Amino acid sequence: MHIPDGYLSPATCAVMYAGAAPFWYVALRQLRRRLSTRLVPLISVFSAFSFVVMMFNLPLPGGTTGHAVGVGLATTVLGPWASILAISVALAIQAVFFGDGGITALGANCFNMAIVGSLVAWGVLRLASAGAAPESRRRVFAAALAGYVAINASALCAAVEFGVQPALFHDAAGVPLYAPYRLGIAIPAMMLGHLTIAGLAEAVISGGVVAFLQRGRSSILPGNIPALAAASSSSRVQPRLAAVLSLLLFCTPLGVLAVGSAWGEWSAREFGDPAARQRIAQSSGNQAPPDVLPKGMQHLASVWSAPFPDYAPRFIRSQKLGYMLSGMFGAGIILGGSLLAQSLLRIGRRQERPR
Amino acid sequence: MTAPLFDLRDVGYHYGSQAALRDLSITVHAGERIVLLGANGSGKSTLLRVLDALYYPDAGSVRFCGRELTEELLLDDEFCFDFRRRVGLVFQNPDVQLFNPTVYEEIAFGPLQLRWPKEKIEESVARAMEFMQVEPLRSRPPYGLSGGEKKRVAIASVLVMDPEVLLLDEPTSALDPRSQSRIIDLIAAWKNSERTVITATHQLDIVEEIADRAHVLHEGRIVAGGAPREVLADLELLDRCNLVHRHRHSHDGVEHSHPHQHTHGSHEHKH
Amino acid sequence: MSHPGFVEHSIDGLSRALEHALFSEEMARRRGLLQAVDARAKLAGLLVLIIAAAIAHRLPVLGVLWMIGALLAVLSSIRPRDLALRLWLPVFAFAAIITLPAVFITPGRELFVVPWLHLAATDSGVRTALLLLARAEVTATFAVLLVLCTPWTRLLRALRWFRVPREAVVILGMTYRYIFLVLETAREMFLSRRSRMAGRMAGADGRRLAAASAGVLLQHTMELSHDVHLAMLARGFRGDVFLLDEPSMRISDGLFAAVLLAGAVTTWWMGR
Repeated sequence: MHIPDGYLSPATCAVMYAGAAPFWYVALRQLRRRLSTRLVPLISVFSAFSFVVMMFNLPLPGGTTGHAVGVGLATTVLGPWASILAISVALAIQAVFFGDGGITALGANCFNMAIVGSLVAWGVLRLASAGAAPESRRRVFAAALAGYVAINASALCAAVEFGVQPALFHDAAGVPLYAPYRLGIAIPAMMLGHLTIAGLAEAVISGGVVAFLQRGRSSILPGNIPALAAASSSSRVQPRLAAVLSLLLFCTPLGVLAVGSAWGEWSAREFGDPAARQRIAQSSGNQAPPDVLPKGMQHLASVWSAPFPDYAPRFIRSQKLGYMLSGMFGAGIILGGSLLAQSLLRIGRRQERPR
Repeated sequence: MTAPLFDLRDVGYHYGSQAALRDLSITVHAGERIVLLGANGSGKSTLLRVLDALYYPDAGSVRFCGRELTEELLLDDEFCFDFRRRVGLVFQNPDVQLFNPTVYEEIAFGPLQLRWPKEKIEESVARAMEFMQVEPLRSRPPYGLSGGEKKRVAIASVLVMDPEVLLLDEPTSALDPRSQSRIIDLIAAWKNSERTVITATHQLDIVEEIADRAHVLHEGRIVAGGAPREVLADLELLDRCNLVHRHRHSHDGVEHSHPHQHTHGSHEHKH
Repeated sequence: MSHPGFVEHSIDGLSRALEHALFSEEMARRRGLLQAVDARAKLAGLLVLIIAAAIAHRLPVLGVLWMIGALLAVLSSIRPRDLALRLWLPVFAFAAIITLPAVFITPGRELFVVPWLHLAATDSGVRTALLLLARAEVTATFAVLLVLCTPWTRLLRALRWFRVPREAVVILGMTYRYIFLVLETAREMFLSRRSRMAGRMAGADGRRLAAASAGVLLQHTMELSHDVHLAMLARGFRGDVFLLDEPSMRISDGLFAAVLLAGAVTTWWMGR
């Protein structure tokens, strides 16, 4: 599922980097504070481990083999934030050093596999293993399920990123400039392979290793690294919030493609086009829209494209892109801001307590 | 009698439910060369880590120059920097200790963390590399080095800070004979110097060269201590502590078995 | 003869990774143009070229960029043959699979029809496919040149100049260093299993074996990280990382970056 360079437009790549950055930043800050000296060796060595596990050729039911990313395992052992960092580092080294996955696409790959993957895995893990004893079979099942769902969520994100390319980025003749498969093709194509093969591989590694560790009564099982346990239990609220927001984040491109526009979200152009005016009237209880474009709308409509000089490529000035970008940035800012606020509040509370 | 450098009283340490050190008391004076003799699992490595304030005891106290080593004390910047410079630990597995991308950076790591000025760092690193003869390896990454080279780099990375106390965990393990003897010569050369050297090993044949005093560890306790020659002569004790092997042979229909260690000369058994 | 199972494949993969690393260490040691340039200048210049390739949408532009890449390789003592075998071929193999369907499904003027499958290849389809392929190849070429000709540590420290956090740089360096240790451990584990196995292990047994191997590896890994942590503390590590300074950039380095930047901008302008 590692997306190579050249399949996602530069704008998409930039947006994905921008989407990943707040998560990286928050993860680093959180972990730095809680793990302090332990952070660097823990993430580094675990990253090396996931890098190697990504190379295991796993035998699957049905006689096929597949590769796992190890995000289910990473989240189970380290918790979501450390997992985000560890998997991102492994992906970065794969991309830069071994050429697996593009460099401009690294933001997207990290967003899909490390970030969405870890957060979804965490959510599923908490839900599925709620109340189960550490040694129980249910934990094994929960880990396997978490891995399976997480990798499919990652694949869905990647498929959407691929799928919106033809609609958003094409030349004058309508020929796609980047990934050429629209959503209707990209989603089934990617999901088929992941629902069957890659998802199973992920489940095998996550569940299998947890089962193995349980048999040996290993001290690695979650909750046994004190600082990490503290780090992950106090982030109980955030991963759910983050998971929801991440879902929203990658749904915004879909919003762009919805046929017609949501009520109220009309572009300035539509007010001049008779067919569009008809549609607006119909959806507004048969009230005709004003003949003259409201001045405020006129002004706002140019806000997005104005900063870009006339010779900038057309797609940057497209309002659809502006919509998508602002949606993603907005959600990212909200998420980053709320997490930051939570961390600040916690610092404040801790300073009040007597040492 | 000068104050001891290290003073441990009734120290206990557990890994989870397993006890690694029990009621352990030992004193070390400046300039001494000591060997901690023990089989694998006897607690030697744990003791070295307790001495280096990497593990804090569950019971008893550890004092360095009269001050008790606690987690809180090590949080104090001034004490921490001072202690980390004065006491150096060379781990048994060099891979654990070579975590920087190149040999030069590895050796420079300690001085960098101690915030030494740039010129001092360059000077000390150059000196350490020369002393351990690893200058030609300066830009090499650690994974390509041989066992002996790794060990020399590991030692250099500790010596660079010019520590007063050197803790060595199985310094000769997994080394070829030539590298082994180089290390042994190095430790022997520190006799009568100001450096305090505490070596943990299970190799009996090097003890006399590298130490003036030997302590035997067994199951987390110190069961004997004294001059190396005396300790090594007590074969029954060494056998109980798994430091020697038993020789079995039979003649005239009678089977004999006795503890046995190899020395350099020929050996014959009296019975 | 039973065909190789996952143990064999995993051993192969691990061996290939180790060999790739050794190859790139060797390339970084050779004397050539890219090897002599400061890492920061290389990072900036090659990154700009990668971006230029990623936004190019005309084949001639990509052709020019490809030639720039090949020229840089030759000037840096890297044989085009090595580049072709290790990079261009694998990228082609991978990209072709994804790109092939585009030849047939993109609407446009029909060029030819595949007989039995009744699939029609269109002109825009072929163009799209070629564009995608060329872009993948060229971006990969610049990325690989950057990595092959720069020691990993210099590359990481160059990132500091671009404001990447210190911990991230140290983590990347330490991860890279320990990848080889973990690779070696994993390979040895599989080799020893292979020598004890009579035939191929498949199905549920194979899965258990894979999970057990990963589990053992995980335990070693966590122990390793624990010990490395202690070793770092023992040498004065308090949580903040300090790095060695980089020597300052020379004028020639700046010039190099400027030339690459000019080249990238020119090709972009050409392709508008």
